[in-house]
Amino acid sequence: MNQLNTILGKIIRDSSGKTKLITAIIGLFVAILLLLISVQLQVNYNQLLNSKSNRDSIANFLVINKEMTDATLGNTQLGDSIIKRIKAQPFIDAVGLLTPSRYKASIESNSERFPFYTDISFESVPADFIDLNGTNWTWNEQSPYVPIIIPSMFLDFYNFQFSLSQNLPQLTPAVVKMILFKVTIYGKNGSRSFNGKIVGFSDRISSMIIPNEFMNWGNNLYASDSNQSVSRLVIRTKDPGNPILTQFLHENQLTTDSDKTRFSKYRKVVDAVVRIAGFTGIVLFLFALLVFTLFIQITIANSKIEIKRLIRLGTSPKQLSRFLMRKFFPIYCWLIFGALLLVMILQFLLKTSLTKQSIFIDFFISPITAFAALFLLVLIWWVNHRTIKKHIYQ
Amino acid sequence: MFELNQVMPFPLKEKKREKGSEIWNKHVQFKSGERIKITAPSGTGKTTLIHQLYGLRNDYDGVIQFNGKDIKQFNADQVAIQRQLSISIIFQDLQLFEQLTARENIELKRILQTPFYESSKIEEMAQLLGIRGILDQSASTCSYGEQQRICIIRALIQPFDWLLMDEPFSHLDLENQHLAIQLINEECNKRNAGFVLTDLNDDQSFIYSRTLYL
Repeated sequence: MNQLNTILGKIIRDSSGKTKLITAIIGLFVAILLLLISVQLQVNYNQLLNSKSNRDSIANFLVINKEMTDATLGNTQLGDSIIKRIKAQPFIDAVGLLTPSRYKASIESNSERFPFYTDISFESVPADFIDLNGTNWTWNEQSPYVPIIIPSMFLDFYNFQFSLSQNLPQLTPAVVKMILFKVTIYGKNGSRSFNGKIVGFSDRISSMIIPNEFMNWGNNLYASDSNQSVSRLVIRTKDPGNPILTQFLHENQLTTDSDKTRFSKYRKVVDAVVRIAGFTGIVLFLFALLVFTLFIQITIANSKIEIKRLIRLGTSPKQLSRFLMRKFFPIYCWLIFGALLLVMILQFLLKTSLTKQSIFIDFFISPITAFAALFLLVLIWWVNHRTIKKHIYQ
Repeated sequence: MFELNQVMPFPLKEKKREKGSEIWNKHVQFKSGERIKITAPSGTGKTTLIHQLYGLRNDYDGVIQFNGKDIKQFNADQVAIQRQLSISIIFQDLQLFEQLTARENIELKRILQTPFYESSKIEEMAQLLGIRGILDQSASTCSYGEQQRICIIRALIQPFDWLLMDEPFSHLDLENQHLAIQLINEECNKRNAGFVLTDLNDDQSFIYSRTLYL
C-alpha cells in the first residue's frame, strides 16, 4: 500500500503552492482552537455554577416580592396570574409560597437568668424549600414544642452586637438549639402559649420560619382577617446569575436579593466572549474547510489526465480516494491534536491562576471538549471524503 | 468469456463499407482461452473494439457481455477489479506516465492488486525484451520501441484471463517482435488466458484460434 502511494504521489502532485497551504493550515488551526476554547470555557463556566465546591447553597434560592415603590405601597400582593407566569418560566425549577402569620406573636425566655421578650412574626414555606436534614419539621397540637428556623444573621447580630452591648454571654448555634423558650400567639380567640425551640439556621430566607401546619392552624384560629393573599415567593433556580431571570424580574417589577443575582452581569460578559469566540471559530472553520476542499479540487483538477490514465489502467476510485485522504487527513489529525494540546495547556494555566482566587475548575479539559475535537475531525473527514468521491467518480 | 450481440459503434453507423464485418452487427463469442486476431484496414474501428471490450467506450448499439454480464452495467469499482484481475491491455497509444521511470510504470500495475509476480520478474522480463538497461530511466526519455516494450511487460506483470492488444508491435522491429510474441505466448499459457489482438497486417506471429475481419 505504501509503495503504491509512493508511486501515486509521484503522479498526483499538489501544485497549489506551499505558502497557500501553510496559510490554510494556520487558518484551520486558529479556527479549531477557537472552537475548542469556546466549548471548554462554556464547560468551565457551567462547572463554576453547578459544582459543589463552588456552589453557594443560598444562591439557588431566591425570595422575590414586588418592588416597594409609591405605586405598590399597600398593594404588594402577588396575584395568581403572576404566580402562574413565574412557575411557567423555564429557568425556574420550583416556586414556593411564603405564608406570613396574620396574628400577633411574641417569644420570651423561660429562664430568669437569661430574660428576654420580643414581639415577632413568622413565615412558613413548603418543606421542600427547607435545608435542614434529619430534623422533624412538622407540628401538631400534641407536639412538645414549635420548631423554628431563624436566619443565621440573627445569631451573628446577637453574638457580635447585641450580647456585647447588653453584657450578655455569646452563644454557639448548638447552645441556642438547646434553649426552650415560650411562644405566645394572640388573636380573635384570645392567646395561647407553646414551647418553642430553634432547630436550625438558614441563609435562604430572612425571616423566622415555622412549619406549615403550625402556620395554618394559627392563621385559622387567631388571624384577625381571612385574607390569604401572597406577597412573597421563594423560587429555586439552577442559575441565579442567569441574565434572563434578572430581566424577567425587572420586567415584572419584582425584586430579590440583588447580591444573589449580581453574577448575571459577569455572566453576560462571559456569554458574549464565548459566543464571539464560538462564532468566529465557526466562520473561520467553514472558510478553512472550504479552502481545503478547494485544495483537494485543485489537486484533482491539475492531475485530471493522470487520474484518468490511472483509472484506465485499473486503479480503482477507492484506491485513489484512499491515497488522497492519506495525503490530506494526517494534516487535520495533527492540527486537531495540536489545538487540543494547546487548550489543555491553557486550561492548566487557567486552573493555576484561578485556584489562587479560590475558584475551582478542573485541571484537565472536559470530555465534552475532547468529544468536540473528535466531532470536528469526523466532520472534516466527511467533507473531504465527499469532495474526493465527487471529483474522482466524475 | 466475451459475447458481442449486434454491436455497432455510433461513429461507424453511417460509414459505407466495401466488405462486410464479421463482428459489427453480428453475434460473436470469444471463449475463454481463445486467441483472436482482429484484422482490418485503418478507420474500421479496431481501437474502438478493444476499448469497448475494455469498458472504456459506451457509444455503441447492441450488448457486450463479459462473463454473462453487460459490461455497461459494471460500476467504476467493479471495472477496476476486472482491470486488475481479469483483463489486461496493451494500448496503441501506450499510456505511460512520463514522470515515472520505466520500472515504476510497470511496478504500478504489479502492485495495484495482490501481486501476481515478485518485483524481480520485472527485471527478468525486461532482460528478455532487451530493456533492462533503461528500467530506471524516465519513461519520457525512452524511444517508442522501448516504451512499447515497457507497455508489454506492464500488461504481463498482472494477473489476467484476457489480454487485449491494440497494434502492440507497431514500433518494434522483427527481432523484438519475435521476442515479445514469445513472452506473451508464455505468459498467456501460464494463465490459460485468451487474447484479442488487432493488427493491420495479416501476420501469423501467434497461433490464432480464429482470425476475424472487422
